[in-house]
Amino acid sequence: MLTFIIKRLAVAIPTLLILVIFSYLIMYAAPGGPFDSERQLPPQVMANLMAKYGLDQPLIVQIARYVWNVVVHFDFGPSFIYKDQTVNDIIRQGFPVTLTYGFWSFVVATSVGMSLGILAAIYHNSWLDYLAVGISVGAQVLPNFVMAPILVLTFTLWLGWLPGGGWQGGQWQYVIMPVIALSTSFMASISRLTRSSMLEVLNANYIRTARAKGLPMRRVIFRHALKPALLPVISYLGPAFVGMITGSVVIDIYFSTGGIGIFFVNSAINRDYSVIMGITILTGALTVLFNLVVDILYAWIDPKIRY
Amino acid sequence: MLTSRTAARSLETAEIGPAIEGRSLWADARIRFFRNKAAVAGLIVLIFVALFALFGSHLTPWSNEEVDWSVLGNVEEAGRPSIATRHFFGTDALGRDLFARTVQGTQISLMVGLIGAMIAVVVGTIYGATAGYYGDRVDNIMMRIVDVLMSVPYMFVLILLLVVFGRSVLLLFVGIGLISWLDMARIARGQTLSIKNKEFVEAAHAIGVRPATIIRRHIVPNLLGVVIVYATLLVPNMIIYESFISFLGLGVQEPLTSWGALISDGASQMQYGTLWMLGFPLFFFVITLFAFFFVGDGLRDALDPKDR
Amino acid sequence: MALFEINDLSVQFDTNDGTVSAVNGVSFDVNEGDTLAIVGESGSGKSQTAFATIGLLARNGHSTGSVKWDGKEILNLPEGQLNKIRSSEIAMIFQDPMTSLNPYLKVSAQMEEVLTLHRGMSRREARAECVRMLDAVRIPDAAARITMYPHEFSGGMRQRIMIAMSLLCRPRLIIADEPTTALDVTVQAQIMDLLRDIRYEFNTAMILITHDLGIVAGSCERTMVMYGGRIMERGTTAEIFAAPTHPYTLGLLDAVPRLDRREDVLPTIPGEPPDMLRAVTGCPFEPRCPLAFERCISVVPPLERLGETRVRACHRNPEEVVR
Repeated sequence: MLTFIIKRLAVAIPTLLILVIFSYLIMYAAPGGPFDSERQLPPQVMANLMAKYGLDQPLIVQIARYVWNVVVHFDFGPSFIYKDQTVNDIIRQGFPVTLTYGFWSFVVATSVGMSLGILAAIYHNSWLDYLAVGISVGAQVLPNFVMAPILVLTFTLWLGWLPGGGWQGGQWQYVIMPVIALSTSFMASISRLTRSSMLEVLNANYIRTARAKGLPMRRVIFRHALKPALLPVISYLGPAFVGMITGSVVIDIYFSTGGIGIFFVNSAINRDYSVIMGITILTGALTVLFNLVVDILYAWIDPKIRY
Repeated sequence: MLTSRTAARSLETAEIGPAIEGRSLWADARIRFFRNKAAVAGLIVLIFVALFALFGSHLTPWSNEEVDWSVLGNVEEAGRPSIATRHFFGTDALGRDLFARTVQGTQISLMVGLIGAMIAVVVGTIYGATAGYYGDRVDNIMMRIVDVLMSVPYMFVLILLLVVFGRSVLLLFVGIGLISWLDMARIARGQTLSIKNKEFVEAAHAIGVRPATIIRRHIVPNLLGVVIVYATLLVPNMIIYESFISFLGLGVQEPLTSWGALISDGASQMQYGTLWMLGFPLFFFVITLFAFFFVGDGLRDALDPKDR
Repeated sequence: MALFEINDLSVQFDTNDGTVSAVNGVSFDVNEGDTLAIVGESGSGKSQTAFATIGLLARNGHSTGSVKWDGKEILNLPEGQLNKIRSSEIAMIFQDPMTSLNPYLKVSAQMEEVLTLHRGMSRREARAECVRMLDAVRIPDAAARITMYPHEFSGGMRQRIMIAMSLLCRPRLIIADEPTTALDVTVQAQIMDLLRDIRYEFNTAMILITHDLGIVAGSCERTMVMYGGRIMERGTTAEIFAAPTHPYTLGLLDAVPRLDRREDVLPTIPGEPPDMLRAVTGCPFEPRCPLAFERCISVVPPLERLGETRVRACHRNPEEVVR
């Protein structure tokens, strides 16, 4: 198991390095520097600024220093736009928010999606199955940026039950709509995936064997069918995670939750390169880490994977 | 009841006997597809949406950028959908005709969907088929690269690219297409691996046909079924991606628009009670996605070799 | 009274292309310690007959008729009551040991649950009993290997595990569905030997489902030949082999390779098994039968008694059925 993890890390680390270098190169190639503004700066001031941010060095040195700072000190440098803030400050501010509603969205999407899929498969072709299929097909065309306005329209403008935005330190009434908006379409995919793979597993020969042994249906499903049925779902969790991270941008814009998404978009529009890079790298690292966990989970369930 | 009827029908066709034997796989798939009501309904909706995108602009006197000054300042009342003002879908917050804008947004969204899916399919199929065909070391390296690329948050990279190199429709098309070729590559590779060991490929190999030709003439045509199914399911995802980016205001630029941009505009006007601004674009967005998913599912059921 | 009594059993499947009749009015019985072979080509309904008796049909299947176990009707009983009989009194061995064991669970887990469930044993007792049973089916080093996963065993070993698993509760009847089909020829012989030994040891009745007449001769006292979901002929194995009275049986016997005859081309039965979607108006074997005549097309031949132990379904007289 340990060698398996090490092997995976051996792939993960270069991936991240490539991501860092690639995004740095894009920045470097970008037409127009970060200090271009309407007011032309005197050459001396410009040179000082460049020197302060290390932009007068050769490219290779810049990259090396950036990587070194990120890896060793976990320091993404200062923001180019907000002069008194570092990228680390911004991450510290926005990340806990994103993590909170992201975590709950993930929990909702997986638990509801899996349960719905399993129930639909067990009661195949019953009203429950049709209901579950209906919900998941319907939810599939409701990505976060469609869900968000619909939720606000319903629960804020019509019913007046929930606040239309804000965070307030993560009180529950501010968390509900972001979580629903972010999780709905993934819940749908997970439920469809679970249902079809569960149906396939229930037709497997070893399930017939389990039934022939006189095991009660509950045991057949939870002990014999669940693990293999969840394997395809587990491999979908990686992409789902990426999708939710990306979706956080919409959530932060629409609900003014103040997560990293809003910083990402603002800095993208303002060309605040260090912030964009910091967030890209951070989410990239999270994704890589998450995929690693998924891989380990997969290997743990499927005994045929040799590590 | 239903089963006895289908049984009767299959008995009728069974009596024809020899005609069935000569039916090609594609003809077979077509029959299966048209038996699927949801898929056929989806197809009809898609045709309707496509006609709307192609000819919708002839149905309205307004263009998508023209501001109706008589409406401006009182959009909540005067901008309502109405036959009399010829604003069938009402106007947007700036007094522009929403029908014309929806037609134009549909064009962009469908185009992004189709072109994006095409790029993803072409790149992914060639890549996957090559990896699968050569196998061993080549396969290992190529698929490892795919693994690596899979763990990159693409949407962020695409946003980065759009910001750095300026927004352009071309970059949007290509970028969205390139986000999704990875899955296609995996699927194509898996299929290729199983096709590769079939006798007709070995035979071609034995008589000295060059690998590139084998891939083009034997492997890719046999991948077609899976590729078509996947492509149909990709299009709605591409549309979602584009809408996502346009929702953030990073997609197509004014006066051009797309579903995502229209939904975003509509959503921002919601509190003024001008729900038509959200409703019409959302309606087209939702029915098109539904239609693509149903058609994709229908195609999968029709072409899935597991079922035969 | 017979231990296992099947009367007029029929099985239908609802499919997208219509209703398929897999089994039509099959009757037979098995006594304590008895051995019955059900023989037929794939698609003859022999496996579905067996599955139907203990309620293991696929979801879209349903069965009618009567199945009596120990004098009690068990066909279409609720799952909960059938579960008390399954494995503890009627055990099954399946065709493909590669896919019939759960690849995601250790062998120990799969075996122990039978005993903890039906016999109320503790995990420890169950483990000890399972190891004993694996020893009995001659799995070397069973105590250590029981904690391995199925894919770590060879095909033959996996089938031994299946057999051991089916024997755990000392069932009174074992239904073996093509137990050797997926195995190498040498392993086939070992498994058949094992089944015979085990049967003597535990005095278990057995229904052996197979398409291979070769393994029937040495292992079963009685034989039932099925085609198109119907019984063609039934009798003692000796009778069937010595004097087949049905053209289909004759064809099957001719297709068995023999050492005492020199043959360049092994005889086969021309044609293909019937399309079960088509409603049969006459004898299902008629399209392939060398002896068919008009009546065979329109009238289903009834099962008729022929002597003490024998039934057959053919419009021809027994004397007419010769090579």
